[in-house]
Amino acid sequence: MRQLIFTLLCVTSLPLFSQEKGYLTGSLESNSIYYVKDNGLNKENSVDPDDRFGSNNYLKLDYTLGKFSAGIQLEGYLPTLQGYDIGLYGSGKKAILGIKYASWQDENFAFRVGDIFEQFGSGLVFRSYEDRTLGINNSIEGVNASYNFKNYVSVKGLYGRPRLYDSYADSWIRGADLSLSVSDIIGWNSGLLNLEGSVVNRYEALPEDASNALIVDNLNLYSARLNFDYKGINMAAEYVGKGKDASFNASKPVQGHGFLAEIGYNYKALSVLGTYRELNYMNTTLARNGRGVGNVMNYLPALTRQYTYMLANLNPYQVQGDGERGGQLDIYYSIRSKEDRSKYWNLHFNASMFYSNKNITGKSRLLWRDINADVERQWNRKFKTSLLVSVQEWNPSLGFDDETYLSNIFVLDGLYKFDRKKSIRAELQYLYSQDYEKDWVAALVEFSFAPKWSFSVSDMYNLGTTDTHYYSGSVSYTRKNTRLQLSYGRNRAGYVCSGGVCRYTPAYTGANLTVTSSF
Amino acid sequence: MKKISFLLVILLLIANYSFAQSVWPNVKVEKINGDVVNTKDVLEGKPAIVSFWGVTCKPCMTELNALNEVMEEWQEEIDFNIIAVSIDDSRFTSRARSMAQGFQWGFICLFDKNQDLKRAMNVSLTPQTYIVNAKGEIVYSHTGYTPGSEYELFEKLKEISE
Repeated sequence: MRQLIFTLLCVTSLPLFSQEKGYLTGSLESNSIYYVKDNGLNKENSVDPDDRFGSNNYLKLDYTLGKFSAGIQLEGYLPTLQGYDIGLYGSGKKAILGIKYASWQDENFAFRVGDIFEQFGSGLVFRSYEDRTLGINNSIEGVNASYNFKNYVSVKGLYGRPRLYDSYADSWIRGADLSLSVSDIIGWNSGLLNLEGSVVNRYEALPEDASNALIVDNLNLYSARLNFDYKGINMAAEYVGKGKDASFNASKPVQGHGFLAEIGYNYKALSVLGTYRELNYMNTTLARNGRGVGNVMNYLPALTRQYTYMLANLNPYQVQGDGERGGQLDIYYSIRSKEDRSKYWNLHFNASMFYSNKNITGKSRLLWRDINADVERQWNRKFKTSLLVSVQEWNPSLGFDDETYLSNIFVLDGLYKFDRKKSIRAELQYLYSQDYEKDWVAALVEFSFAPKWSFSVSDMYNLGTTDTHYYSGSVSYTRKNTRLQLSYGRNRAGYVCSGGVCRYTPAYTGANLTVTSSF
Repeated sequence: MKKISFLLVILLLIANYSFAQSVWPNVKVEKINGDVVNTKDVLEGKPAIVSFWGVTCKPCMTELNALNEVMEEWQEEIDFNIIAVSIDDSRFTSRARSMAQGFQWGFICLFDKNQDLKRAMNVSLTPQTYIVNAKGEIVYSHTGYTPGSEYELFEKLKEISE
């Protein structure tokens, strides 16, 4: 606590020594749930905690003075919300100084001490980031520096120990990254060609009695990348090699690799993007004894479409970092009336497909397939509709068995603006399936009174097997930078995903108050 | 007691500074063609609406499509830019870029792959929208989107360009 106050005083007394005053900005996010007992939920996958209250809170303060900035983030878990791994695998601290840093940045040079967020390339080799929805913060406590010479070369380096929930992993991470802009060096102005590479080392001392050959102390990874952009065509490729590392899917340390290739094409209102990825023993943890979604050193998101509709998100794909290969295709197109900008069509087609690695599942099997399309039509200034169709096939045994489940999802979404302030939005959703929980229906109605108020009610109902309603009602109020949302409802057990990474949450019923504010 | 005194310290600090106007920070982001650019070079000496979005954020899409619809009409009255900042990490940048082009957004599109701008501006929820004046001072900000709230942006733009 004393340290905290000391840091704060240091940070805030800085202006006293300078001519200029600088800027203090900050943000507050608080998410609290009061859990109620609900006999309508399946006991096996729902929670009914003794302490009926849970609350995750983040207060972030940043001070900037010219090229210098410093900041802190305080986190309060009072106690941790159900379904967050920090509550399961953390040490149970109620309040922590989650982030502290001081940094200096000018045109060419940047230096930061404290907690570091950084990623190399696509993150396949290394990524430290914060995602509050998932409860991930794997920032590195240490030093980070970068230097760029004009637009030609940029180098980055970092060293430190990674955060694991509310304390630190027993490992050290060192990394370096180099990026060369070949097009700038040779003076090619009509396109872009970049060559990049990274090396990352993770060191965790072996225990004294380490007699088995199942664990390693030094792990090295490297990444080689190419980015190319010319006249509407863009291409990117990345190869990551990983040294021997312990794996849940192997009986002894194994080498891994990852490969990612992407090609995009844009012409006027047409945009096409194809991605291919192969992952082979690429799950990389921060600590040998760590667990859960926060114990991760690299970023392996699911390359599938991420939906905002309830039924399209019921069974999202879980990435198989130790063995999958597959890809995704996206096509976007829009048609616009030249006379009236308020009349347009936005069309989107997406398909994704992934197969398991035969070294792990015995045979390479289909893990996931989703073929979907949506059409958004703005009819006039007042009325807009969207239609989505998605056909999803997924493998409940993660490739160990041939059986797959098929879901056909249909969503109709309409928005009508009464005037500049009042609007209503409604969603109707239907999931047709002969497998697993069979058929679902869902509906949502949202009334907004801009810019401050919004009210919504929704229900998701499984009429196939469980006969369960997942209802919810919510009110939100926004004033400038502060948003309050109060909701009450029943929540299904399943995966909550953000940026293609997911965490499991048990079912619960309760009242939820979320406050976010920035200043 | 300790906790209380600690909270008091924080509150005092906030009170001390809350009148300081915040400014558009200077960090490195990518343009739509992949070139790295300093954010301060993007403003072009005009006021701007800055909107943070992500590929999985539906209200962000609704807001940006609504702004795209009215932008030209507003620009007949006021000279301003719209800057759309994608906070998607590099894995989703290509998709964000495809969406921006596919939806024919006439904005300045920036890609904040390492979320440096997001952190510098303390964005915790998207959509988060700001108005930055020609001097680079942040004069308005709003979290979330409800259909119609874009008109408040227009009112504010008119006010600062008078």
